[in-house]
Amino acid sequence: MSDRTVPQDFDFHGKALDTIFDDYEAMLAEKPVGHSSKYGGFWYISKSDDIFEAEQDPDTWSVGPSMILPGFGTEMPLIPIDIDPPTHAGFRKLLLPMFTPMAINKLEPGMHATAEELAAEVKQAFEADGVVDVSHRFARPYPTIIFSRLAGYPEADWPMFDQWIDDIIYERTKSPETANKAGDDLVAYVQRLIDDGRAGTAQHGIMGDLLDAKVDGRPLTNDELISYGYLLFLAGLDTTAWAIRSSLWYLAGNLEAQRLLRAEPDRVPDAAEEFLRTLSPVQAMARTAKKDTTVRGQEIQAGERVVLVFGAGNRDPEVYDKPNDIDITRENNRHLAFGGGIHRCLGSNLGRKELVISLQHFLATIPEFELAEDEPWHGVGSLRIRLTGGE
Amino acid sequence: MAEVWIDPARCQGHARCFMLAPETFEIDDDGYGHVIAGREGSYDEENVRKAIRNCPERAIKVIGAEPAS
Ligand code: SF4
Repeated sequence: MSDRTVPQDFDFHGKALDTIFDDYEAMLAEKPVGHSSKYGGFWYISKSDDIFEAEQDPDTWSVGPSMILPGFGTEMPLIPIDIDPPTHAGFRKLLLPMFTPMAINKLEPGMHATAEELAAEVKQAFEADGVVDVSHRFARPYPTIIFSRLAGYPEADWPMFDQWIDDIIYERTKSPETANKAGDDLVAYVQRLIDDGRAGTAQHGIMGDLLDAKVDGRPLTNDELISYGYLLFLAGLDTTAWAIRSSLWYLAGNLEAQRLLRAEPDRVPDAAEEFLRTLSPVQAMARTAKKDTTVRGQEIQAGERVVLVFGAGNRDPEVYDKPNDIDITRENNRHLAFGGGIHRCLGSNLGRKELVISLQHFLATIPEFELAEDEPWHGVGSLRIRLTGGE
Repeated sequence: MAEVWIDPARCQGHARCFMLAPETFEIDDDGYGHVIAGREGSYDEENVRKAIRNCPERAIKVIGAEPAS
């Protein structure tokens, strides 16, 4: 399948994702630490253990100037993901209580109701038309609506949110100007939310909590609030949409898996972990070496950029049995989809719950389905499916 | 007797333990995992094993009651 060489300009965005699992196989077998000429040049690290070690060692690996490579339509460091210790801890601590399982559980009734509604709309759409884009009608609106509620962003604004996400996340490699323009619009939007919050006219939510919060005994500055707002937005929406879409993509190609999960919805959480491991929305994150160091024999110099390829680590044959098989009954599934160490994804409890609840309602409402045309596994673009007529 | 333990220096609050073995683990207000007081020595082996193998930070350990050397 793979020709077992890693491209010189190895990339982990856009079109490159079509064949990236072949690149991973080649990396893991032949060159677990190597160099790419992409994005100004970076070293990639692909073995699960090496990635784990790097995440646990912020003294060697800085997240500055940004763990997002290439950047997200803004020059400002995003709080807290682009901040190193010791400053990092105070900024992160503010958010922690807002994303605990207990905090997320409060959203659960709304999560069920919205998933049920959207699934019912998909079902209706099938009655009108034989083919339905379930990315557009289900995977994307679902997390956007839930997140707006949590964050205190007006729910009615969500179609605008998805356009910004498209421009900032998916256009940034092709058209940085479009991404920067959307970035500016998003900053202006967050500023308006802050102003409304200060004036007491905003909905309550995370933005409201942040207005009241203190770091080192002082309130957050306006720039800090904007940075938090911007990041929450970019972290919370498209990742979950991708996870839901890629899970549906897999299920559309595997009727047996659909049948099993329909018959035994209690298996959806394990299946969701497997989708997160193998089809993860975040395939890699960047660091910068703070000092000269060596990883698996490869010297890396202070100041060089490094990319932790979570997606490759998640398919490391030393960690997983048949790493490239998607086995929805897999039980031992310690994966890197949410990262690890002090920067691990804060939204994992939210994302997991959204993924599980949305899949359960989708499967309960929509009978057997298949892909209507070839679609890539990745991204948040269209996912057109049709019913098979079987049950 | 074996006891289950979460290393606070490693735990980052993924809450996998709580999802997989809620009878043994709890989550504090900041989202970090703890063994429920009194449950250290009596737990469902199968669930705890699952939690150990799914904790992304490798923070959960089963240790002997006698201090390990
Ligand atoms: S799964 Fe691991 S990291 Fe997560 S809360 Fe439990 S012990 Fe902590």
